[in-house]
Formats: sequence, C-alpha cells, structure tokens
Amino acid sequence: MIRFVLWRTGAAAVLLVVLSALVFVLQQISPGDPARAYVGGNASPAAVAAAHHRLGLDRPWPQRYVRYLWHALHGDLGISLRTHRPVTTDLGQFLPATAELVLFSFVLALLLALLFALSGALRWPGTGLYRGVLLLAGTAPAFLLGLGGIVLFYGHLHWLPEAGRGVDTSSPTGFVLLDSLLHGDTGAFTDGLRHLLLPGLALAVAPAISIGRILRAGLERTFGADYVRTARSKGIREVQVLWRHVVRNSLDATLSMAGLQLGFMFAGVVIVENVFTWPGIGYYLAQSIPQSDFPAIAGVTLLLGGVYIVVNAVVDVLQAVADPRLTV
Amino acid sequence: MSAHDLPTPGTARAPGPEPGAASRSGSATAPAAGTAGPVASVRGLSVSLQRQGVRSPVLRGVDLDIAPGEIVGLVGESGSGKSVLAMTMLGLLPRSARPVITGSVHAAGTDMLHGTPAQLRAVRRSRLGVIFQDPMTSLNPTMRIGRQITEVTGDSGEAVTLLGAVRVPEPARRMRAFPHELSGGLRQRVMAAIALTGRPRLIVADEPTTALDVTVQAQLLALLADLRREFGCSVLFITHDLAVAAQITDRIAVLYQGRVAEIGPSAQLLHHPTHPYTAGLLGSRLSLSTPRTGALPTLPADGVPVAERLRGCAYHTRCPLVLDRCASQQPPATPVEGTGVLRACWRDSTAVRDIHRAVVPAEGLAAHAGPLGAVHPSPGGSGKPAADLAVEVRALGCRFHSRSGFEPRHTVDALQGVDLDVRAGEALSIVGESGSGKSTLLRVIAGLTRPTAGTVVLRGTAQMVFQDAGSSLTPWLTVGALLRERLRAAKVPPAEAARRTEEVLAAMGLPASVLKVRPGELSGGQRQRVALARAVVVPPTVLLCDEPTSALDASLAASVLNLIREMRRELAMTVVFVTHDLAVARLMGDRIAVMAQGRLVEQGDAHDIVTAPADPRTRALLDAVPRIDVPAARPATGPADRPEAAR
Repeated sequence: MIRFVLWRTGAAAVLLVVLSALVFVLQQISPGDPARAYVGGNASPAAVAAAHHRLGLDRPWPQRYVRYLWHALHGDLGISLRTHRPVTTDLGQFLPATAELVLFSFVLALLLALLFALSGALRWPGTGLYRGVLLLAGTAPAFLLGLGGIVLFYGHLHWLPEAGRGVDTSSPTGFVLLDSLLHGDTGAFTDGLRHLLLPGLALAVAPAISIGRILRAGLERTFGADYVRTARSKGIREVQVLWRHVVRNSLDATLSMAGLQLGFMFAGVVIVENVFTWPGIGYYLAQSIPQSDFPAIAGVTLLLGGVYIVVNAVVDVLQAVADPRLTV
Repeated sequence: MSAHDLPTPGTARAPGPEPGAASRSGSATAPAAGTAGPVASVRGLSVSLQRQGVRSPVLRGVDLDIAPGEIVGLVGESGSGKSVLAMTMLGLLPRSARPVITGSVHAAGTDMLHGTPAQLRAVRRSRLGVIFQDPMTSLNPTMRIGRQITEVTGDSGEAVTLLGAVRVPEPARRMRAFPHELSGGLRQRVMAAIALTGRPRLIVADEPTTALDVTVQAQLLALLADLRREFGCSVLFITHDLAVAAQITDRIAVLYQGRVAEIGPSAQLLHHPTHPYTAGLLGSRLSLSTPRTGALPTLPADGVPVAERLRGCAYHTRCPLVLDRCASQQPPATPVEGTGVLRACWRDSTAVRDIHRAVVPAEGLAAHAGPLGAVHPSPGGSGKPAADLAVEVRALGCRFHSRSGFEPRHTVDALQGVDLDVRAGEALSIVGESGSGKSTLLRVIAGLTRPTAGTVVLRGTAQMVFQDAGSSLTPWLTVGALLRERLRAAKVPPAEAARRTEEVLAAMGLPASVLKVRPGELSGGQRQRVALARAVVVPPTVLLCDEPTSALDASLAASVLNLIREMRRELAMTVVFVTHDLAVARLMGDRIAVMAQGRLVEQGDAHDIVTAPADPRTRALLDAVPRIDVPAARPATGPADRPEAAR
C-alpha cells in the first residue's frame, strides 16, 4: 500500500514536470514579444532591450526552461505583464474565490449524484422521461445553465443575486463562507451562500449527472453480487449490508468519475466565473488572455493542470484503499 | 396457472432416519431421531417465481425433514428447484423474482415464511449457516476474511478457532488476508467458517464443491463430515452429482421439476433406486467403469413444453417405464416397505430395479479397455516421423509475473519443461488439479498464450471449446451470426454456408430455430452445443477442449462428450481434452497425460493410467474421483450396502 502511494506520487511529480515543459513550450511558440508587452507599445528600443535582458529572454531556451522550473519550484512564476505584480501574488488573491466555488460546487455535485443515483435506481412510471430530462440537462453547457439561472432566479423571481461574491469580499482567508462561519456572522454567511448558489449549480449539474449515472450502474451491479447474498445470509441488518458490502464495492468507477469531473470543474470554472463575474482564477485568466499576459496565462495553466494531476493521484490512492486488489 | 394446484397429501411425511437400519452406517454420528424434533421441516411447499415477466412454478409441493445432526442430500438436475428450496428455507429468495409461496417452512424453530424480517435475520445470524457454490464470487472482495467471519459475532478469537477447525493453515495470519489472496479451496473453507459462526444448528451447502476440482472437493467433503461430528450441526447438502452425495449424506432427496421423486437412506437409494429418474441419473453418471466404447449413456432430452409436462408425473416425457396414467395423474409419495424410502411413481419399485440393473454397470474398474476411435495407429513407441504428429511440444515453459509498483513481486512457473506429442487423429486427455498448468498448456498450444521457453508446433488448424460457454459466446450476436462469422472467415460461399450451419446444428441435436436466438436465451447445455458447433462448423485439424462439461449436469455432460466423440470420428479430428476428472479423461482420451505443478508427471495409455498409475499424484487424482460404491468419508459399510457391486 505504502509502495503504491509512493509510486503514484512519483508518477504525479513526473506529470507535473511534463506539464511545466508543455506550458514553457507554449509560451515560447506564442506570437508577440513579452518584453514589448511588458514595457508598453511606445517604449524606446533601448527600453525594450533592457526589458528583454531583465526578463531573461536573451538567454538560450534550455537555460530559460531550467530557470523557469527552478523559480516555479520556489513559488516564483514571473511578473504579470498586465498587473506588474508577481503572478504568484495575483494567483494567491484570486485562488480562494475559485477554490470556494469549485469545492462548494463539487459537494453539491456529489449530493445531487447520490440523489440521481438513488432515484434512478427506483422503478416508477416515468423513469424513462426522468432519465431523459437528466441526460439533457447533463449535456447543456455550464454557461447556458448559468445564463438560464440568472434569467429565471434573478430576472423573473428576484430570489438570488445576479453576480459577484457579495458585499464583503475582503475576508482574511479569502473563503467567505468559512470566515463568516468562524466569526458567527450569519448575515455574511447567507449572503455568500446566495451568491454561490447559482454559479455553483451551473457548474455542478453536468458532473452530478455523470457521477450519478456511474454510481447507479455500480449499485445495481453490486446488489446482484453473490457476496451480497452471503452478507444477507449472515443475518445482518440491511443497512449494514448496504454500507459494508454494497457501497464500498460500487465505488471504484464512481471515484474515477468524480476525480475526472473535479478536474473538469476546475477547467469549466473559467467560463462560469465570467458569466457571473466571479473574482476568481478564471476571471483573472479571461482578462490576461487579450493582453497576451503570458506569465499569468502560464501560471493559471500550471495551477489548474497541477490541481488536475493531484486530484487524480488522490483518486487512485482512494480507489486502492477501497479495493485492495488494485495494489496487488 | 397456480403453483398450488397439486399439493401432496399432508400425510406423505418423510420419515426420519432410522439409526438401527442395516442400510445406515457410521452410527456413531447418527442423529437421535426420536429425542428431538427436526431442525428443519418443509411441508407442502410450493414456490412460483417470475422471470422476465413470466411466472413459472419452481417447487410444487415439497415435504422434507432434517433431523438434528443429519446430513441430507438434495440431488437433481439444474432447474429442478434445489437452490430455490434452499433459499426459501433461509428466507433469502430475491424479492425481484416476486415469489408466491404456499405451504410451510420451519428452520431452527422459526417460521421462515411468516416470520418478521427481524426474526429471520436473528435465526440466520445464530442458527443457520450457508455455504454457496462459487467461492470466487461469494466473499466480499474488499473485506479482510477475518472481518467477514467476525462480522456477526465480533469475536476474533472464535474466528481464529473456526479457521483452524476448517483446516485453514496459519489461521491467525490468514485473518488479515483478502479473498483474492487465497485459493478456491481455501476460500470455500472460509465460507464454511462463516457458516459455522455462532454454532448453527443447520448448514445449507448449495453445491459447495461444484466449482472445485476433484481433489479439493474430496477434502471439503471430508471436512463437512468432520464438522458435523465436531459441531453436531445438520447439513442440507445440495448437489447435482449422486456420487458426491454418496460420500457424506445420511439420506438423499431426489428432486425433479420441483417435486421430490424419491427420498430415503443414501445407500438404499443409490443401490436400489425405486424411481426411474433416480435410476436414470445413476445410469448416466460417468464413472471410472463406464464402458469406453459406444455412446455414453444419457437421459433422453426433454423437448416437451412445460405445461404439458406438469400435467401428470413431471418425468413422464422422459421415463422409459411410462404408463398411460403418468401423463394425467400425479403420483403421490408412498413408502416402500421396510426401506425408509418414499417414492412418487405409479410403477412398482421392482420394475425400476430391473431397468437399473440393465443400465448400470458394476462399479469398480471394469475391463472395458481398448482404444476409442479407429483412425489412429496404436499408441506407444517413440521415433515416429514428425509428420505424423498434429501437435509437437518441446521443452515448453511459461512463466507469469505478478507486478506491483516498481518491481515484480513474484513469478509463477505455470509450465516447466513440458514435452508432449499428439499424433494426428489421436485423442489425448490432459488431467490435473486446478493450478497444475493444464489449461495454460492448452492455451499455449492454441496460440492464445505466448510461452516463455520451448516450442510448440501445431500442424493444421485449431479450434477451442471453453469451459464457460456462457461467456465464450458473444452475447449480442445470434447463433446464426456466430456460425456465419466462422464460415465467412473461411471464405465459404453463402449458399454453402447456410447448408453447413443447418447440418452442424442437426448434428448437435439443436433445432434450426436456434439460429435466430442469442446465447443468453439458451440453457447451459445448449450453449455448450453451440460453442461446439462454432468450433467444428469449419472442421479444424485439432480440437482443443478446456473442461467443456464441468459446468453441466451429468446427463448433459455425457451428451456433449458423445458429440465431441462423434465429431472426432466423422471429421477425423485430433482432440486434446483438458479435465480435472480422471473418469472423464479416461472416456475422452486414447492416452492420458497427468500434470502437476506445471510439469508433466505421467503419460500413457488411458486404461493403463487409470488401472495402474505409476505416479503418486496420479493415484491421488484417482482416489479423489467420487465413487458410489466407496463411501470414503464413512467408516466400514455393512454387507447390505453393496449388493449391487457384488453382482
């Protein structure tokens, strides 16, 4: 087991290095001169040359890559060409909002998935129609769900706010829900929750349906397994049969799917944040792209890619915990 | 149709065992029938189940008593309702089958039909134990076996003791093992340990040895007999093999189409069957004394619709002794004087005895020697020209690695230095326990597994028939499509192909309507026939069979074996037949090769191997073949036990 964890961690590290190399290459082959972008369009050739030297662009590329990797390892992802602040500082400012949205949305997705799985496993008239509606909702893109949600719940019903994170976004940790809870500030908490609900749902529906379908298939398969019959023959209660014997054995594919979907959610958040002007990484990225702010774009890519890799490594380990046969 | 329209009279009560009867043996373990009531009692039980929207009667008025400490065998073909009876007794019928139940079932003092779920759980928890058929799938793969045993009692000390009692080596260490780390035999022992937790009064064993090879089967049977002695529990032992039942049971109930055809003391029933079905089952059993020449005895197939069959005696459509009234009137269960046997048959019991004598050869190694086919030259002698050989295996080795993370954890030599020749037209049986490498050898010959050392030369074309026909046939293709696929690959023109498929189905005894059917809709025996049809529709030079009949009932198995022998004769094929059963190996091969631990330990003429084995491992395999005349698990048998063998 320990060896499996070490092996999986090593594999994740290798993937991260590969990812950083890809990001670096993308940066190199992109058109436009970062030095010129850094000093501005009207700068003198001498100033551009100085910026060239300052940004290390006059050195050969292998050296630049090693430098880039070395700095990245020390938390230095370069200076944003747009904000003229270290990219790490920018990311630190925008990340908590994104993390809060994605985590909230992921928990929502898991709950919805469980609901879909259990309701889908039941047999009642109209199950087919219900599944069809779910499938349709699952294929709708997140921005469409987001816009539809805004039109309905803000435009017509006035139940939920349209955009943003709420009044007070300057909380110490950057996590509005967490801070307001810690300070016992129910007003800020409700406000934060109201702001989270629409973007969270828009982001959660598609993953919830994917995860729910896999979970339902897993549960149905496991319910017919011989060892479930063995468990029943022992005379233990049905709840114990369900929890000890059915659920754990239904998790393998569901865990993979949940991990994949969590990764996708970090990618999908870019669009949802822009629909809801959510001050997170995706919003930051969307502002950096038109300005060719390569260090910022690379930083965001590296961060999201890194999260994706780590999440999948964790899922693999969780699967091994759930099913001991995998590490053999 | 109601499942309850043909109840047996309530007076037809199965007698308890008679400890004093001359036909019983091992009286040290005999239950005291008079001192306590039965552990389980089933009265007039009828069960109908719904499958794919169609309701059909599965049990039709069953009476059965199990006395304390008694081992009762429940024998019948697949579909006879024996598993449904067991599940009903445990209160475990799946709700999805919408069971409709009438009659009464009491087990360990609890009403299993009308008890509350809590009562049923309580009795299952503390009074009943179950051993299921397939140890590979019946244990939770993600739970340590210790936890699976202690799940109910929470007593790990008891669990270690029980693991010791079921002869699991190093029980304390095994507690932390996962099921996939144990062999099939060990897993079935773990199942037995689970069944024994809480000292149950009744253990239901549903075909506990069917998935095991003969050697492990013999061990498990001995274990069950020991456990009965040590723990004093009763056992309901379900099997489709009368010889397996003969090893350990006190009484046997023969179930046919949901009714008890005959029930009585084991020795009595096995040597003096009074129901034509019992006689037929005994006659179609393949043993070491079944004549090697001629067709193997089988029960006639049943092609009559269910509704018609169930009007009178369910067996009347297959019965050699059928009377007019059998088709319209259901025979009641009546006792046979002085034997303790209850039988449901209109014929006189002496009439049945006569057909039994005619069909069943004397047990013991018969002198039916001689080669099977006529195509090949006589066996023996080396230095044959190589062209004569269909399969040539030289110094074959096959090593498997199981990997984990960085480095290989361990290696298994599935085959080591195997040399084997199969002459063109010859039939060779390869025998061995599971894990001996016999299936790997066959797969290497077929080219499905790459050897790590040595060479294999196969002259001509090869086709393979697998053990599990259910999973070796593509589920979404019709039988016709499966057969045409092979013919298209051989570039047979469509008109010719249609004729060939019809021919091959006729040869397999399958109706042409099967062509439009998918494998899932066929029975196990039919599926294996289709698999065989697919293998020979384009006749191969070499037919490779991997335990093609080990999942089938005795009679069905015999008919499939007959087909393989016929096909071999007609198409002049070479046959390599892998089995764990020496009785089958003897019938299917001119020669037998015995494998153990990846090596070929002995090979020679089939008759010689069976009558005069040279290697101890061959002798062990031979001893493990269950025989009706030698009740291995029981002490000395009285003279009344085997008049049949003396004939």
